[in-house]
Amino acid sequence: MKHIIKNIFTVFVALMFVQTGIAQNSQSEFKLPTYVKFTLANGLTVYLMEQHEVPLISVSAIIPAGAIYDGEKSGLANLTASGLLYGTKSYSKSKIEEELDFIGADLNTYASKESAAISSKFASKDSDKVFPILKELLMDPAFDAVEFEKEKKRVLSGLEQSKLSPRNVINAYWDKFMYGSHVYGNPVSGSPETVAKINASDLKAFYSNNYGPRGSAIAIVGDFDARAMKALITKMFGAWKNTGISATNLASNPIKPMDAARVLLVNKEDARETTFLIGGLGIRRDNPDYVAVEVINTVFGGRFTSWLNDELRVNSGLTYGARSNFNSLKNSGTFSISTFTAVNTTQPTLEKAMQVLDSLHVHGIDENTLASAKNYVKGQFPPRYETAGQLANLLTQMFWYGFNESFINNFQNNVDGLSLAKSKEIINKYFPKDKLQFLLIGKSADIKKIAEKYGSVIEKDIKADGF
Amino acid sequence: MKMKKLLCVMLLGCWIPLHGQIKSEDIKSFTLKNGMKFLVAEDNSIPNANMYLFYKVGSRNEYPGITGLSHFFEHMMFNGAKKYGPKMFDQTMEFNGGANNAYTTQDVTVYTDWFPVSAMETIFDLESDRIAHLNIDSKMIESERGVVLSERSTGLENSPWRMLSEAVNATAFQEHPYHWSVIGYESDIKNWTKEDLEKYFKTYYAPNNCVVVISGNVKLEEVKRLAEKYMAPIPAGVEPKAIHLVEPPQSGERRITIQKEVPTPYLILAYHTPEAMSNDFYPLSILSAALTSGNSSRLYVSLVDKKQLANTVSSSFGESFDPNLFKIYAVAAKDIQEHQIEEAIYEEIQQIIAGGISDQELQKIKNQKLMEFYGQIETINGKSNNIGTYELFFGDYKKMFDAPAAYSKVSIEDVKRVASQYFKKSNRTVGVLKSKVEE
Repeated sequence: MKHIIKNIFTVFVALMFVQTGIAQNSQSEFKLPTYVKFTLANGLTVYLMEQHEVPLISVSAIIPAGAIYDGEKSGLANLTASGLLYGTKSYSKSKIEEELDFIGADLNTYASKESAAISSKFASKDSDKVFPILKELLMDPAFDAVEFEKEKKRVLSGLEQSKLSPRNVINAYWDKFMYGSHVYGNPVSGSPETVAKINASDLKAFYSNNYGPRGSAIAIVGDFDARAMKALITKMFGAWKNTGISATNLASNPIKPMDAARVLLVNKEDARETTFLIGGLGIRRDNPDYVAVEVINTVFGGRFTSWLNDELRVNSGLTYGARSNFNSLKNSGTFSISTFTAVNTTQPTLEKAMQVLDSLHVHGIDENTLASAKNYVKGQFPPRYETAGQLANLLTQMFWYGFNESFINNFQNNVDGLSLAKSKEIINKYFPKDKLQFLLIGKSADIKKIAEKYGSVIEKDIKADGF
Repeated sequence: MKMKKLLCVMLLGCWIPLHGQIKSEDIKSFTLKNGMKFLVAEDNSIPNANMYLFYKVGSRNEYPGITGLSHFFEHMMFNGAKKYGPKMFDQTMEFNGGANNAYTTQDVTVYTDWFPVSAMETIFDLESDRIAHLNIDSKMIESERGVVLSERSTGLENSPWRMLSEAVNATAFQEHPYHWSVIGYESDIKNWTKEDLEKYFKTYYAPNNCVVVISGNVKLEEVKRLAEKYMAPIPAGVEPKAIHLVEPPQSGERRITIQKEVPTPYLILAYHTPEAMSNDFYPLSILSAALTSGNSSRLYVSLVDKKQLANTVSSSFGESFDPNLFKIYAVAAKDIQEHQIEEAIYEEIQQIIAGGISDQELQKIKNQKLMEFYGQIETINGKSNNIGTYELFFGDYKKMFDAPAAYSKVSIEDVKRVASQYFKKSNRTVGVLKSKVEE
């Protein structure tokens, strides 16, 4: 099918190159708006970006308190993050909810693998109502035991429910399978057995050990005066004390490379389809080739006409969609092909996915395909940073992963700078070709024989606790 | 990169003009001779633009034998026309930095293109080619059948709601086409023919059955020039026949049970409610928010927090061409029977019927609606989607600018009245999905 692509493209190449030229001109103006960054005496990093076109403010905060610090109490970071909303020194849970609901403000707290985060969006006229709540839930959360016990019941039921959907849980299985005992294998959600044992005092302890201004950042984007906001933030968060933050950086421990092909087969008795991932280790977020990898992955599995989707969906009708993804963290990352198909087409779908990966290594990509991917990645970039909420999140990501506005401002050049020769290197270096890892969620009785062809099989049941 | 300009802000119910507001006059409209209507919102915040094409065809235009055809057709629109053959639509768009998707509902089919503004002429060329000259290829039909069967199956695999919601619709609607799901019956997906598709194309894919919305860093004059060049030559079609089917009034409670392995029962309560053009649309929308919007809402406070009967509770009430359903969804907490939740919901509904909602609640919801509205037009994509939705469902895109005022006009008495009018036992359908059903 790739021959047809070449033929099609030769027809349009002249026109397209003219148009991309224009795109480059207009998009070279796509720069990150100016912002100020400063650090309070207690170590809290603050970003302020004024945006006056709408009377709204978006806040994003990041705290080094993710699931990697869970220890034996799997799910604790996540429960602690949501527990910030169960009341504070001067607000009960229901008071927080009533105040925020009344002004139509959003405020969410959650944990991810490495960090905890808060995001909020509200009308700028309501700043004096929202900031005091934000301040207290960061600095003086109460972790009310009664509220926690109610939430725990809901979380336990939610954990059971999420196992009804392979799509909801496949990434938790994948991380555990890929990272093993490394803390990156910790599932953010925890499991019924571990969550059942956690109580409100565990949340308090996790908070004191992991929440504090040092290592954290807050970004505020929207309709405000930066000087007045700086004074307000300094006054509010200047008093935030560093407590017993002790964490040794477990995430920097080495990750064992894959030494053999393996298959994790998760039995789901009532499955009507097989949901699967194929892959291996990927790249860290600070990898200098991060952007180049994104361009190549666009060709392979990152857009509708990607080779994976073209082969598995368009040419063969085996699935509704197939894609690939590099999931990057501070110290490591994974790569995976992901798709799903009816139980009885599991084998041909796996085969085709492998063939497409093989073809990437054997044939590489040509000039036109590379040009197309570059145009696509550049063209789809600006809408990722369109709203104040997206910009506030970007600023905290910059803080967390240690990059700066050059990621935005030089994105165009970085994409354009990727040569064909370099693309070959990227494929060789970052796209796994052997010792592949497979994760299949489906009806074991029907697909176990197929699974065995790809490596040594480890079996689990989706109803068993954890991942 | 700059944020969008906005309309107005409402402070304690009055309108205060703000800097940089967009007014309904800022959305430009023109109609080609063939009846294709364009709505354009210039916005230079990012160097991108979009094109949303709203076709007035959805699963309500189907009948048994071709259920799901609107959605299947949406897929076929990507499978080749005259100038751009199979695969070339997507390949050309992506080569030019654009991406696309599409969605089908009970009422409409919407095609969405997102692109750097430099690619706009290519987008016009691609869209006009497939509207004027779609080529329905037999081989593509067969592979696309597999894709859609997989889409149907993955929806059922990953959410119990899909199965339950389909059953509730099939029970609440006995005659109107909202009876079947948008994805259609499996047997119909496997059965329709090339002729069915060709007939559908001829009937519904004419320029006069389409509204095009463009938002982003575009100039109106350039949009007009391209519309004249690419869309104007396409001949108008015959006005499609109006849908004549009317659902007879429901005269008694209906119940439907589904067996599926789930940890605790799933519940849907559905009440027949009117279409978007009805005067009751805004009070019902406020009623929906009073019941489930936020953790201070009535059903959350009662069912989830205080009584701990449900893990989650939500509701849906949206715009539609014909009278549709107001739905309340809940998942039972551990060891709770579905009838306990049901009774608790009826109790809350009864309280609204008897006592209405408070001033504080009403003001809260009006504030929420305004923030929601900001959120919907914060991006160029939200803008296009909203402009098109108001144009189709409320008869005029300008109604979008009246929406905050329409909400602010709703009184407590209105909310009380719609609650007692529609939330009657005889008007409801109750759906339960659970592991153990009586044999």
